Amino acid sequence: MNVKVLGVKRKIALLCAVVMMLSVLAACSGGNGGSNDPAPQEPANTGGQSAGEGNANAAQAEPLELTIMVPAFSTELPDGSSPVLQELEKYTNTDITMQFVPNSSYGDKMNITLASGQLPHLMVVDRNSASYINAARTGAFWEIGPYLQDYPNLSQANPIILNNSSVDGKTYGIYRGRTLGRMGVSINKDWMEKVGLSEPKTIDEFYNLLKAFKEQDPDGNGKDDTYGTVITKYAGPWDIMQVWFGAPNKWGEGADGKLVPTHMTPEYKEALKFFKKLYDEGLVNSDFAVMDPAVWLDPIVNGQAGVMVDVADAARRIDGRMQEKAEREEPYIDVFQAPVGPKGHRDMPTSGYANVIAISKSAVKTEEELKRVLEFLDKLGDVEMQMLLGYGIEGRHYEMVDGYIKPLTTPEDVALVKELEGMNQMLTFIGPVTPQLEMTVINEKVMQVQTANEEIVVSNPAEPLVSEVYAQKGQQLDNIIADARIKYIVGQIDDNGLDQAIALWRSSGGDDYIAEINKLYEEAK
Amino acid sequence: MDSTLQSGPDAAVKAKKSKATVLGSQRPSWIGKVKKDRWLYVLLLPGLIYFLVFKYLPMWGVLIAFQNFQPFVGFWNSEWVGLENFRNFFANPDFVRLLRNTFILAVYDLVFFFPAPIIVALLLNEIRVNVIKRFIQTMVYVPHFISMVIVASMTYVFLTTQGGVLNEAVFQITGRRIDFLADPDWFRPLIILQIMWKETGWGTIIFLAALASVDVEQYEAAVVDGANRFQRLWHVTLPAISSVIVILLILRLGNFLDNGFEQIFLMTNSLNRTVADVFDTYVYFVGITQGAFSYSTAIGLFKSIVGIVLIYGSNWLAKRFGQEGLY
Repeated sequence: MNVKVLGVKRKIALLCAVVMMLSVLAACSGGNGGSNDPAPQEPANTGGQSAGEGNANAAQAEPLELTIMVPAFSTELPDGSSPVLQELEKYTNTDITMQFVPNSSYGDKMNITLASGQLPHLMVVDRNSASYINAARTGAFWEIGPYLQDYPNLSQANPIILNNSSVDGKTYGIYRGRTLGRMGVSINKDWMEKVGLSEPKTIDEFYNLLKAFKEQDPDGNGKDDTYGTVITKYAGPWDIMQVWFGAPNKWGEGADGKLVPTHMTPEYKEALKFFKKLYDEGLVNSDFAVMDPAVWLDPIVNGQAGVMVDVADAARRIDGRMQEKAEREEPYIDVFQAPVGPKGHRDMPTSGYANVIAISKSAVKTEEELKRVLEFLDKLGDVEMQMLLGYGIEGRHYEMVDGYIKPLTTPEDVALVKELEGMNQMLTFIGPVTPQLEMTVINEKVMQVQTANEEIVVSNPAEPLVSEVYAQKGQQLDNIIADARIKYIVGQIDDNGLDQAIALWRSSGGDDYIAEINKLYEEAK
Repeated sequence: MDSTLQSGPDAAVKAKKSKATVLGSQRPSWIGKVKKDRWLYVLLLPGLIYFLVFKYLPMWGVLIAFQNFQPFVGFWNSEWVGLENFRNFFANPDFVRLLRNTFILAVYDLVFFFPAPIIVALLLNEIRVNVIKRFIQTMVYVPHFISMVIVASMTYVFLTTQGGVLNEAVFQITGRRIDFLADPDWFRPLIILQIMWKETGWGTIIFLAALASVDVEQYEAAVVDGANRFQRLWHVTLPAISSVIVILLILRLGNFLDNGFEQIFLMTNSLNRTVADVFDTYVYFVGITQGAFSYSTAIGLFKSIVGIVLIYGSNWLAKRFGQEGLY
């Protein structure tokens, strides 16, 4: 009896041990199994594809599985139940998993994803980052340049922007098109009337406007509690304003035809002197070096500051926020082109694109699959898809009024906005032109400014060049200059210190960078 | 604690002895022992596998510090560069600055923050009304549960020159505003103050536990001998908890070069970067944002080696001075 009991006990113990070991092993292999999961399905997919290729109709094939990684600017994001996403899947015959990554940490996440080797089918990547360039060179992404001509929308891609967004002259990702002359100066309209000033046409007028906003009590509450323009840790406004002064956009051609970085030009120093004056006179918020960009609009919405130098469509966002507080017919904000500087009318352009969408070789294994993925990207250029991903479903998220789009979503209806939010991040805007947003006063003004900007934008001659030095040390080099600029503005360093910082930049790799860019520039000519 | 600490070496010695005595027989005795306790060893197995798979296996990853690692070429095919990454790092002008910043912050931390929980615990220990003691204890350790991100945002709201509450108070009193957030001179005090505010209360818990175990009779004897409060603290309480203090100090020294990444990262800006850059943020900066994986691994490895040296060194020192070490 006793022996028998012991035997049973032993068996139970053995069973327990085996179960435990198995569970450990299963846990280990579970991770691998998960990641290998799509593999067994792929042959079926491609099989279906090649069978259907005869009549060139992919719609008969199984839905294409796609994982798409895009930046997100909101925390309320669409999930699988979003009708917009479902509509997209139906139209393109796909089964899509969205990976939204907060924009503020997108760069980190992108680098980590690239390093992990477990890439989504499609991901938005920064063409200038070292890890993307290395990944592309070592064969992580499909080179899609030769395929583009076969697709009705993608074949319309702008060759200049394609070249700007290429790596070593090869297109590893399809660019996401952006308006070239996107910048503008958004100003509080009421305040302008109060201080009796109109559009600032020159830099002096711009300065006077800021000064008036600080000193003439534009909000009329009798207190000295306003200032001119609000700037945050994000240094974009400084970059834009220094171009007004005649400093080149990142790189400019010197008298000898060689490219010179912007911070080594005399115009750059002129601009910095002006910035310092703004800071010393309190026309810009004193805590700009530590302020979080996420609350950039707040001082303007709350009536502490009156000017924002950024993209022109920021005017629409500020006005939207102010309308939420107190709705009225007339917009609160007006938007203008850059003021004319000593070197003429100049403004900073965008690169014409914001990052590229790359197709990974680890997830998209065969050329047939690649073609289906490209077909998907091509379809995103169709009017239907541009409308769907940009504005949602007609009757639900927007309605058409006289050929214009009138959004039905309001910021309060979070659930409705959520269905659509962030979906436009996968759009390339390569394809036919779609209907426009309803022409409110402010939309019209934004359009005008952006169209007029195309005449005055200053392009960066080094835009298409991929520098080895920059890929490795770019961030460090940029920091030296960006920090020195901020220190100069707040008075931590003087002209001497600025020169020292530039000397440090040159000795830390800047000289090599200049030499390399000039060499590449010569070769590209 | 003592018994568990000592049982390891003791058992090993015993095992050695018994092994020696049966060396003559055909079967080494450890096989017999394993056989006898085999089910216990099986129970041990999951733990062992866990450490092997999740701790020891990934450790080989540090080898990329000696490579020029490219993720898509892979671990096996990346170019082997030997000590080049280390040479570059030590020759880099940033190295001296990083070492200086890291070191100064670590010393500040040790001098100002490390004693703080001990002092608070001693003060709490003197409170005889239990309700008040518990209340204060809870109040001081609540900040521990607040995320560093929130602490950094709160610091901004209080100290910004554009209407920060504390800065306005400073302005009312002195007539000028102090740029706490951007002034490099304020960076280190700010970091230490944040840490003290957030972690002091939490740190007291372990000392309070040690204090609770002090023999009450010793206090009574001290009172009979005419010792006042301070003398009792000095001659009874402190010696009783000194071993806990030493062990925590040794553990702290092992992490000497860890400054706490997110705190520093959140408090860094263009104006204080010269004093704010430390190894932790630098590794993030070159590794994650610039994709220089090998280089940043080399830096991390260097940091770990310094940590090991400090642990061994301080443990050795503690034993020299007659204290019980960590092991």
